Amino acid sequence: MSLPARVTLEAAWILHRRPYRDSSEIIDLVTLGHGRISAVSRGSRSRRPKVPLEPFQPIHASWVGRGELVTLTGAEPRGPGLRVTGRRLLSMFYVNELLLRLTVKQDHQPDVFRLYENTIKGVASAPQEAVWLRNFESALLDALGYGLSLETDTDGCAVQADAYYRYYLEEGPQRVEDHGHGALTVSGGTLLAIKSGSYDNPEQLSQARHLLTAAMDLYLGGRPLKTRQVLNEMRSRSSRPRVLAK
Amino acid sequence: MAFHLLERDRNGAGELARAMSDAMDSVGHCERCRMLTESLLCPICESGSRDPSLLCVVETPADVVAVENSAGYSGRYFVLTGHLSPLDGIGPEELGLDQLEKLLDEEPIEEVIVATNPTVEGEATAHYVGELCRSRGLRASRIAHGVPVGGELEFVDGGTLSHALAGRQLMEPD
Repeated sequence: MSLPARVTLEAAWILHRRPYRDSSEIIDLVTLGHGRISAVSRGSRSRRPKVPLEPFQPIHASWVGRGELVTLTGAEPRGPGLRVTGRRLLSMFYVNELLLRLTVKQDHQPDVFRLYENTIKGVASAPQEAVWLRNFESALLDALGYGLSLETDTDGCAVQADAYYRYYLEEGPQRVEDHGHGALTVSGGTLLAIKSGSYDNPEQLSQARHLLTAAMDLYLGGRPLKTRQVLNEMRSRSSRPRVLAK
Repeated sequence: MAFHLLERDRNGAGELARAMSDAMDSVGHCERCRMLTESLLCPICESGSRDPSLLCVVETPADVVAVENSAGYSGRYFVLTGHLSPLDGIGPEELGLDQLEKLLDEEPIEEVIVATNPTVEGEATAHYVGELCRSRGLRASRIAHGVPVGGELEFVDGGTLSHALAGRQLMEPD
């Protein structure tokens, strides 16, 4: 789909920005009507714009141009920004990276925009951050056409909550009797929880995380997520015993 | 600038070139705080008159100069040379946080002032530095964000204004 040359006040969120030349930035945005775009924002590092060009601030963005890189001509606030500090910010960076890596530029998907908006608002303030993340991963895979088969096993039978399944990523769950080992063995309850988005216990959440991570890795093309690496490094540091106690 | 130097000030150009070359050869990072310096320790770390119980954590060497020039701060510094930026793969290792942890463990620090920028990446960095302090029972504080001195509320953006309101202070009687 080719973009119109001028777009005015389109609902958007900034996903990432990086410095470009002396005083400009290249900004990745997800927009309601035009999918994900990259835009140059000229001079925005040297003069302070009216609305901070930062992730997690809802904005109306205006731009001109067609093709891979458009030129941002303005940004207006669209409601109050999310005031987030701490650990939840890191989860929100992870959501941003998933969207950047898994969606294609200029692919008009209003559902993905709404999913993103709901998710970061949920992760920013609601309890059960992990549930929001799993629901985002599952819904994003669905929206991109990579959705997991969660209700029917490979034999065509309905998934039973109390049975165990070995999950084959591009085929679906196969019922197994022995659930002791195997990387992607999950309970039927977990599969149904991913489908419904409500989890009964931490065990289900943990199994869902493994399954969804494996599914996303398949579509990430072998390049690991940087946010996941940084998060793992931070986790391993915080659990590391300190040599010198003060 | 290139034309001016080549046509009118060749001596100046020579001096500039030498100064840059000297700087490239001799300026490195302070072993303790990672500030730019020509010796092993920067003048601030070497000075005996700084308060050893206060540590200010900033993102860049330019931030050290900014705080030094204006804020009347008497403690020491630690320069991260950046901020946590998970999407760019910049994590604790790139920011020298091992070195910061060593300082926290070995020096008589009582309070850490986290003066990273008020951006989302700066906040994420501040949170992480705060955790490092808390796990050692040290006091961590974050610099205030708000309306610029001499500014007018009408022209302040919504984000800054909401920070300023959230960080309001009681008016104490004299």
